[in-house]
Amino acid sequence: MTARDAALSGADLKESAEIDVEDIATSGPSNRELWCIRVASIIFVLGAWEYFGRQANPLFASYPTAIARSFVTLIENGELIAALITSLKTLVISFVLGTVIGLVLGLLVGRYRRFEASVDWIISALYSTPKVAILPLIVLWLGLGAPTKIFLVTMTVIFPILINTIAGVKNVPAQLIDVGDAFAASERDIFLKIILPSAIPYMIAGIRLSVGKAVIALVVAEFFTAISGLGALITKYGNMYDTATMFVPILTLMLLGVLLQSGAKAAEKRLAAWRFTD
Amino acid sequence: MARRIKLSVENLSKTFRVSAGRGAPPSLLPVLRNISFQVREGDIVSLIGESGCGKTTLLRIVQGLVARDAGNVKVDGKPVSAPGQDRGFVFQQASLLPWRSARENVEFGLELRRVPADVRRQRAAELLKLVGLGAAGEQYAHQLSGGMQQRVGLARALAIDPALLLMDEPFSALDAQTREELQAELLRIQSKTGKTVLFVTHDLDEAIYLSDQIVVLGARPSRVKTIIDVPFPRPRPPLSKLRGEPRFQQIRDEVWELISQKTAAVA
Repeated sequence: MTARDAALSGADLKESAEIDVEDIATSGPSNRELWCIRVASIIFVLGAWEYFGRQANPLFASYPTAIARSFVTLIENGELIAALITSLKTLVISFVLGTVIGLVLGLLVGRYRRFEASVDWIISALYSTPKVAILPLIVLWLGLGAPTKIFLVTMTVIFPILINTIAGVKNVPAQLIDVGDAFAASERDIFLKIILPSAIPYMIAGIRLSVGKAVIALVVAEFFTAISGLGALITKYGNMYDTATMFVPILTLMLLGVLLQSGAKAAEKRLAAWRFTD
Repeated sequence: MARRIKLSVENLSKTFRVSAGRGAPPSLLPVLRNISFQVREGDIVSLIGESGCGKTTLLRIVQGLVARDAGNVKVDGKPVSAPGQDRGFVFQQASLLPWRSARENVEFGLELRRVPADVRRQRAAELLKLVGLGAAGEQYAHQLSGGMQQRVGLARALAIDPALLLMDEPFSALDAQTREELQAELLRIQSKTGKTVLFVTHDLDEAIYLSDQIVVLGARPSRVKTIIDVPFPRPRPPLSKLRGEPRFQQIRDEVWELISQKTAAVA
């Protein structure tokens, strides 16, 4: 039996009885095998880094064990935690603000054509502007403190979410709106019971996109305004030519990004559970 | 025995405006012209006609999804022009909300009426049982086969207990076997609930098997060509048996003749 035949008869089986069909003969590598490959790859890359990193001038490069030692030191003297909390505050506030603004605005722009016409040009303009480029101006308005950082990160977070939400609302299948109309649903119910749930996967895709951008904006803001948080740690140890320690906040930022990404993924599994069933 | 008139369509006309592309002036496309017919309480009436003749448009006007240009639609003697829960609609594609389970889809119309959750749940369970899906309530739409999705669509329309059930070629996308199964199911469910049904189809056998009356529409702009009474008593034998009846063939030939002859363009 060819793979195509298997897929076809699999589809038939699925049609008649609700079961999972997998063709044993053509199925790919097992999960277990894939994980073994992944772990081997990690060990190989870290090992190579350690080996070549030790040969290099410690000013230009570092290596895993040295970074681990610096990590312990920074945890013990409390520097890392304090910086992390400062950065997280900015990040969380901006993220909540940006998400709420992006989602609400996106729903309205996507649904109401008159509202869209009144704001779509400004959305395109701001979306295309590199937010970092207006940082000097923002500093003039809001000073060097937290408001400037929050403003920059919020502006960065809004757009991916906004653009995706608009696309989500516009892509609600017309036949589903039809169902709402046929059952005499009010505009409010059509919004809450059809448009919103239909757009959720798009919204979450937008949130996931904005996570990465938010972390970048955060570090830029911490470099160029009142120096604080993880960005400050990077600057400080960079200026001290302590490359191993400088890597600690960088890796922390990386972990933060990964964690936020998987948080968004988990939210998607909860909020759009129907897309993850077979 | 004179039964009440459930649905009355009077002198209904509809013309669409079709944009012919950039620069060209829009042209007018008359679809329905002066359509009148009535549906008695408890009857199943089919609208049949060749594709593009406007039968779906007619059904959507009755539901209130499309505005009419002229004429009247009356349900239980009251004129209707907007969608309302006195009419239940079953779509050609089941159009289930994919983020809802089968049960939650059935509850949709009741939710809009702010029916309490426990009442909704019970009603949905009854209806899923009625359409033969008692065990599938917690499945999502995409986990159900096409036939099962259409059963959920039917349960969703019945849940609001409409005076009139409107069905827009609901079985046309199904394979032949499933289609016959569901046609028989519809007859069973209709006899149990006593619902009045207006059913759009282009399938002659389906129209004859299901209906008490068949309204034959001509080509666009369509008008009612004939209304044919289908004399078979209910409950009816399976379609495969009924097909063997000489009277069945006779009606089939008659309707076929009417549909296939091109209407002379009369004003």
